[in-house]
Amino acid sequence: MNTSTTNSRWRIAVGLGSCGVAAGESIYELIAQRGDPSRVTLHKTGCAGLCHREPMLELYSPSGEHWTYVHLDKRAVCQILDRHVGRNQPVEKYLLEGAGRAESVRGFLSKQKKIVLENCGVIDPESLEAYRAVGGYRALARVLGRMTAAQVIEQITASGLRGRGGAGFLTGLKWKYAAEAPGEQKYIVCNGDEGDPGAFMDRSVMESDPHRVIEGMAIGAFAIGASAGFVYVRAEYPLAVLRMTLAIEQARAAGLLGKKFDIEIREGAGAFVCGEETALIQSIEGARGMPRMRPPFPAQRGLWGCPTVINNVETFANVPWIINNGPAAFAALGTEKSKGTKVFSIVGKIRNSGLIEVPMGITLSEIIYEMGGGSGTGRPIKAVQTGGPSGGCIPAALFDTRIDYEELVRHGAIMGSGGMIVVDEDTCMVDLARYFLAFTAKECCGKCSPCRLGTAQLLEILTRITEGHGAEADLQTLTELGATVKTTSLCGLGQTAPNPVLTTLRYFRHEYEEHIRERRCRAGVCQALMLAPCENSCPLNMNIPGYLQLLKENRLHDAFEMVLLDNPLPATTGRVCQYPCEQRCRRATLDEPVNMREVHRYIADTQLRRTPAAKIVGRLKQRKLSVTGKHVAIAGAGPAGLTAAFYLALLGHNVTVFEAAAHPGGMLRYALPQYRLPKNTLDREIAVIRGLGVRFTCNTALGRDITLDELTGAHDAVLLAFGTWEEQDLGVPGRERAGVLSGLDFLQAVSRGKKNSVGHRVIVIGGGNAAIDSARTALRLGAEVTIVYRRAREEMPAIAEETAHALEEGVRLVTLAAPVQVLGENGKVTGLEVQKTVLGKFDTRGRRTPVPTGEKYVIPCDTIIEAIGQKVEAGLSRKLGLGLTGSGTVEVDPWTLRTNDPKVFAAGDVVSGAANVSAAMALGKKAARNIDRQLTGQDRFRELWPALKYDNTPPPHGQGGKRNTVTIAGCAARRHNFNEVVRTFSAGQARAETLRCLRCDIKTAGEDEA
Amino acid sequence: MKTVSLSIDGKSVTVSADTTILNAAAGAGIDIPHLCYDPRVEPLGSCRLCGVKVEGMRGVIASCGQVVSDGMKVTTEDDELALHRRQILELLLSDHPPACTGCDKSGNCRLQDYAYRYHADQNRFGPFTPQPDGPNYTTLNKGILYDAEKCIKCGLCVKYCETVQMADALTFAWRAKRLVVTTPFNEDLHKTTCELCGGCIRVCPVGAMLDKSAVGLGREKDLSRVRTTCSYCGVGCQMDLVVDKARNRIVRVTAEPSSPINDGNLCVKGHFGFEFVASKDRLTHPLIRKNGKLEKATWDEAIALVGKRMREIRDQHGPDAIAFVSSSRCTNEENYLMQKLARTAGGTNNVDNCATSCHAPSVAGLAMAFGSGAMTNSTAEIKDCNVLFLIGANPTEAHPIFGLEMKRALRRGAKLIVCDPRKTWLAQRAHIHIQHRPGSDNMLLNAMMRCILDEGLADKTFIEGRCENFEEFRENLRRYTVKAAAKYCGVDAELIRTAARWYATGNPSAIYYTLGITEHACGTDNVKNVANLAMLCGQIGKPSSGVNPLRGQNNVQGACDMGAMAHKLPGYQDVTDPATRAKFEKAWGVALPQNKGGKVPYFLEAAGRGELRALYVMGEDLVATEPNSARVIEHLRNLEFFVIQEIFLNETAKLAQVVLPSACWAEKDGTFCASERRMQLIRKAVEPPGEARADWQILCAVAAAMGYPMQYQSPAQVFDEMAGLSPIFAGISHQRIATANGLQWPCPTPDHPGTRFLHEGKFTRGKGKFHAITFQAQKEEPCEEFPLILSTGRTLYNYNCGTMTRRSAVIHQKEPANFVEIHADTAARYGIRPDEKVIVRTRRGQVTGRAIVGDRVRPDTIWMPFHFAEEPTNAITNDVFDPVTATAEYKCCAAVLEKIH
Repeated sequence: MNTSTTNSRWRIAVGLGSCGVAAGESIYELIAQRGDPSRVTLHKTGCAGLCHREPMLELYSPSGEHWTYVHLDKRAVCQILDRHVGRNQPVEKYLLEGAGRAESVRGFLSKQKKIVLENCGVIDPESLEAYRAVGGYRALARVLGRMTAAQVIEQITASGLRGRGGAGFLTGLKWKYAAEAPGEQKYIVCNGDEGDPGAFMDRSVMESDPHRVIEGMAIGAFAIGASAGFVYVRAEYPLAVLRMTLAIEQARAAGLLGKKFDIEIREGAGAFVCGEETALIQSIEGARGMPRMRPPFPAQRGLWGCPTVINNVETFANVPWIINNGPAAFAALGTEKSKGTKVFSIVGKIRNSGLIEVPMGITLSEIIYEMGGGSGTGRPIKAVQTGGPSGGCIPAALFDTRIDYEELVRHGAIMGSGGMIVVDEDTCMVDLARYFLAFTAKECCGKCSPCRLGTAQLLEILTRITEGHGAEADLQTLTELGATVKTTSLCGLGQTAPNPVLTTLRYFRHEYEEHIRERRCRAGVCQALMLAPCENSCPLNMNIPGYLQLLKENRLHDAFEMVLLDNPLPATTGRVCQYPCEQRCRRATLDEPVNMREVHRYIADTQLRRTPAAKIVGRLKQRKLSVTGKHVAIAGAGPAGLTAAFYLALLGHNVTVFEAAAHPGGMLRYALPQYRLPKNTLDREIAVIRGLGVRFTCNTALGRDITLDELTGAHDAVLLAFGTWEEQDLGVPGRERAGVLSGLDFLQAVSRGKKNSVGHRVIVIGGGNAAIDSARTALRLGAEVTIVYRRAREEMPAIAEETAHALEEGVRLVTLAAPVQVLGENGKVTGLEVQKTVLGKFDTRGRRTPVPTGEKYVIPCDTIIEAIGQKVEAGLSRKLGLGLTGSGTVEVDPWTLRTNDPKVFAAGDVVSGAANVSAAMALGKKAARNIDRQLTGQDRFRELWPALKYDNTPPPHGQGGKRNTVTIAGCAARRHNFNEVVRTFSAGQARAETLRCLRCDIKTAGEDEA
Repeated sequence: MKTVSLSIDGKSVTVSADTTILNAAAGAGIDIPHLCYDPRVEPLGSCRLCGVKVEGMRGVIASCGQVVSDGMKVTTEDDELALHRRQILELLLSDHPPACTGCDKSGNCRLQDYAYRYHADQNRFGPFTPQPDGPNYTTLNKGILYDAEKCIKCGLCVKYCETVQMADALTFAWRAKRLVVTTPFNEDLHKTTCELCGGCIRVCPVGAMLDKSAVGLGREKDLSRVRTTCSYCGVGCQMDLVVDKARNRIVRVTAEPSSPINDGNLCVKGHFGFEFVASKDRLTHPLIRKNGKLEKATWDEAIALVGKRMREIRDQHGPDAIAFVSSSRCTNEENYLMQKLARTAGGTNNVDNCATSCHAPSVAGLAMAFGSGAMTNSTAEIKDCNVLFLIGANPTEAHPIFGLEMKRALRRGAKLIVCDPRKTWLAQRAHIHIQHRPGSDNMLLNAMMRCILDEGLADKTFIEGRCENFEEFRENLRRYTVKAAAKYCGVDAELIRTAARWYATGNPSAIYYTLGITEHACGTDNVKNVANLAMLCGQIGKPSSGVNPLRGQNNVQGACDMGAMAHKLPGYQDVTDPATRAKFEKAWGVALPQNKGGKVPYFLEAAGRGELRALYVMGEDLVATEPNSARVIEHLRNLEFFVIQEIFLNETAKLAQVVLPSACWAEKDGTFCASERRMQLIRKAVEPPGEARADWQILCAVAAAMGYPMQYQSPAQVFDEMAGLSPIFAGISHQRIATANGLQWPCPTPDHPGTRFLHEGKFTRGKGKFHAITFQAQKEEPCEEFPLILSTGRTLYNYNCGTMTRRSAVIHQKEPANFVEIHADTAARYGIRPDEKVIVRTRRGQVTGRAIVGDRVRPDTIWMPFHFAEEPTNAITNDVFDPVTATAEYKCCAAVLEKIH
């Protein structure tokens, strides 16, 4: 912003709202000390809204040029004073739109439309002159000089301004009622009792542009004929109180309030309910802040029984603008029913947190992704809570919702005063609802029974669920009680308090069900439902702290037993698992996460290599439950089938696995390249399963060699786990040409020993693990490989290290390119025509959609491998006569994995669609448990687990050194062969790594007890 | 108010436009459940049970607060509403003790009823978590028990205390689930501003607020309710005695909204003052003085003795040697019989009642001015006053329910002018408080009227059309100026002028006064001057506008109505009128006496002189209530024969030769006449103790023994005889009173609805008569030896001689002993510290009392109540009397304070 300067000095403005004071007052003092007064003048302003960039300063050159410096510290300030002010060299490193930052902050700034905040962060809030210099009090002058009260009301009505406190009542109408209400004495009240956690819009306005609020109030007072005004501010906003007080004094002294009107400040003691207008009235009157029934409305009978208008800070701050710019200009912004702009504080798991003012009608997606910069944690954004603690949670899938009073209500949320709390996958929605209810249940005044007791009971139930004591009936109770509290409560607090429960129940019911039925909190928040974050995030729920501790205690056998019982394919998963555990490891907050996957690979590799299968089986058999005489057939010997077989055998059942291929292993054997998973490792694991008594009938495909009826006829239960073996096709012209392969076919062929299946110039289309595996395999076969991906590299779903390894080995990566057609000659592939894409709008998952630019080019090649994902072989399931889901997977009860045939269960990719190994195994494990439950009528699963005792003393703080990393074969040594790339930890490395575990599983820490 | 029609559950209903849906439905017989609604307080909307659906309105509407509108379609019950209600009830029960078995309120608990109605018995919200059972603000209090566990926090008690009683004793503490009712700062209840009105108990919909003394004495279903009239002041509150018939015991007292005078409100005396009934001190047998001592006797013995002695003295010394004192505490029927006894068997007009010591000047003065000496308006009209002019009245203490109505008027925006030497509760909240010196009322009134005339605010049309003797009155006022009056009264002249203007221009204005006007040697003059003021401004004969003496005793109005006074026969018929006499002679079958008859002070003086030889007293403690008790005792001792009917052996009874034990108000049937001229029933709730008998029965027996047989089957029969002889009561009978919730006289015919306010269009005497009133100073001016003015009066907690109220432990805790109100400056002058015991001395003696130091009284005045027999204030009051009515000057005498060393 260019602001003309009256002299030849530089101007520095430091934003000193409350957050600015907290973040940057030392900056202000530093400049005051260091700045050369002959060259630079220093000013205070309010809040610019860029909370995530504090501490900040604004620098204006004598010629009026403007720079914003962010993330300042002492050094930065010195550099700016020396280099920029001193030598006119901008300090790039700290500029707001400096390198690497521009993209993220541009949306934040450019999408805003500032009316209420137009002066915030620009003018000195403690100076009346500053406000007048930007046109302040012109609207009031105009109103008093040229307008009648009726005209003012008419203009405000015409603007369509609605109350910004949350309820959204038409401001003009409210003023009209009060103006028409009989009575000599009338009042105007500014509600500054902003109390929502995460909301700071009103505070910022009062701190940064207090005169604007006063001007709005004075105009309102004129319109309704009020002779006195009150500003009700909570005492927790000392700076707002100070600046409003100062501004009132200044306005009074300058005669701006006139002789017939005056304003007083009333400090609230911080009760949330006092934001409710009738409670606020009581509070101003000196009584206990409890709401009363409406009607009569305050506009008829308010403060001391007199007609009273109560508007929110933001509402008043809009008024001068409307008078100055005319109602039409205001009404031109927004939607049909919601006009103008709205200020939001966006906080939570978002990159650019802060204060924004946007036109009504903007989508949540624009706010959260384009302005907020998306997730601040890297984890996908799950939902946004709008309207504060009594607002509602809108799921990411509905982020195309427009900001509009009615639209938000339609989705179960409310506008509220404009708090927006963004939550990501690490947020448990039950816990979130519990958190908000804890707030409202505590802040409830207690007057009306549904709110006083209903919120307490809702909280009780939610707490119970998060602690693992939820019951199935609780969900209905929550729904019904929530409706009663919402419908019957006396005031807005109770009428909205159940919103978080009701919206999370509406959009995230499965999370509630998981808590109740599986005692599982997928976000890893509810402590009672998990051992530790790593365990919770592990699809197989491995007791990771347990095996780390056992290994630390040098109990390798025990550690292995624990690992194996949790995970029947430990060596395999030790190599190919996508280790969600590490993303949740709390050690990461200290330095880096514990390398858990490699430790368990070490344990498995060591034991499987050193110990004969028979011995391992012998030890396992001691845990085997007595023989049940029940027969279970499993179709498919992939990760899901193998896992189920392992557990069902241990549970005492007779298990036969029918496998279409020649050997068991499924994708592990036929899709995962040897260099990632050596097949002898897999064989050792299968040997153990076989040793438990599982019979494998290979070369027998369900639907081809044997029917489902035959299986169900001969067995007590059947598990379908035959995976997804059909590659999705790209659907571009020309793919019928020779040389176009599916990734899966290619990898299978190679694993069966066909080494000549590709040409010399290979294009792999896709960005997932299958694409990387295909590319690296082709490379190892001697081809020149290019990966074509339509989005950017950051968005590739493949494991990042795998991609890095591939590129290191010489694979070329072309991103932002969408295939258009396969070119060829004589039926053979000669190239792939692609079209450049750019990243467009964010989709509801927070990924940017690739938008074709029309610019096309050709990449020559002789082979094209499509690796964009697999799907269930559709025909097969239909042949089996089972119900299918819309996406073609087998339909099962999500909690039991039972199909519509009560004897038949399904697990793995046939249920989930193409997923990863661990996920498939998790379903296999779950299927085994449920099959056993059905066959025996008991839940015997937990009986298998070892009662291994280990030390539960919390480790000393910060024990263990830096993260141990695996040794990777050199690029030259690996790029032309199928030798395993990643080596197992050494014993020393593994042992050292165990020391790094913080043992989050120990719940009663000594410190707390002390 | 216009009416609107709406449909409720398909039923067409027409109600006035300001009715709420809840009340409209109730009127149509549809009971919408509610716990927090009470017609006396602004709807709270806290229980949320009364939600209904209204076509075209969003959501569920609280029917207690929503006013009806034309064409509205209301649904009060459907599945969704029932579910909400069930859930709210379950929520309430989840925070409530699970069993009703131990609760006194069981059977009379709306929560219990609704839980049954809505099947809210599933306990879906987990078990009740009891709150720590610790002491609370009522633990040390003797009257009220608060059970926080049972409390549903509906807030009715708090709101009632705050807006109806305006005592501000109760409040909420904490919030959310911890919300609890308590006092400010959790102070013990009896140390707060709580006035023990018991309203919190009466409004509590559940068993959270209880009468402490009633706990465990039976649940509603075990007890019966007896609707009766309060036996304390003249307001005439309707109350229910909750009685354990089997044990012959009153368990507690309560009242229901919509009762005609008090709308279910009571004061501390009404609610808690019943303990005396079951007191061990009650008289149970007749007593006869033998050898100087009162000894137990049989009824036959006692009646025979009384008959014989009375007859003998009458026959030997003439009828005027005997006198009868009737009782304002007794029923109309008993008063009727007493005066009949005096005039027939006694052959004398020597009959009087305690009106002489209180409102006789009203009866006399208003009769002179208007022709009728009663309150002109009804209690219910108070709330609609625009300007309330109170002079010499402290209704929030002496007539608490009148006080409550005045509080209501205040809340509704009435302007309040209080002329009182003390800063009473109302004076503190009045828009104008004229704190004039005791005894200067006429100076003040004359000044006000002078101002009204000077400023042209007099109602000329009214004066010309309806009054007489105006010129003489106006002439007299020329001698009084506002300025001079202000100086004499010790108040700001401008206050007097403003008060005059407000009163004159109020639409409407009404005057309320009590003994501050009458208990002066110039009491009748005072009353006449009050009447002057009303006539001057035309503020009489309209709704909510008139002159209202608030009568002191429960039936002092009735005692006068019944002719228990020397110069009047029942129904204010003149003894001296031959036609009237002839009517009564015919009915009673005897020749009626033509002597003048006397009043109580004359009886006492005549006894002292030996002219009066026998005195028959019914329910009157002359020693405690007449001024200068030492002389009273002296006179009584001089009697040849002294018989008394009493419920306790009080100081007067101790002097009698025969003491006849009588039944108290709860033990007999009859009627009382309330101050607003309303005849109301009292009903027998319990049997009298021992051999005690109803006074009317005793009187019949005595009459027979004196040779004039009187036989009645019931008080109703007595009433009928009386009504047959008295035109103003002719239309009234027990039967009608019972069905009409009381009847206000005049009620000349059986189809007459009773009279709400008097003097509409025409005064009872025809023209209203102005009187020229010359100011007279009090009889005993302060002097060097006695530099202070002592004034006396009632307190809220105790009643007159205290015989009844002082037997209540609850009241005793709040006000245990006599006290003296002293201005802080005066206290400093005498070196008196707050709460120390001091001596108050007058020319007639001394009493002691605890010093209450503050600014309630003027520096030149001290004030004492007269309820305490052990520290009897009336021992030192001045026995000078109003020449017309013989009312003593209780309100001012010269006194001095002494520190006790």
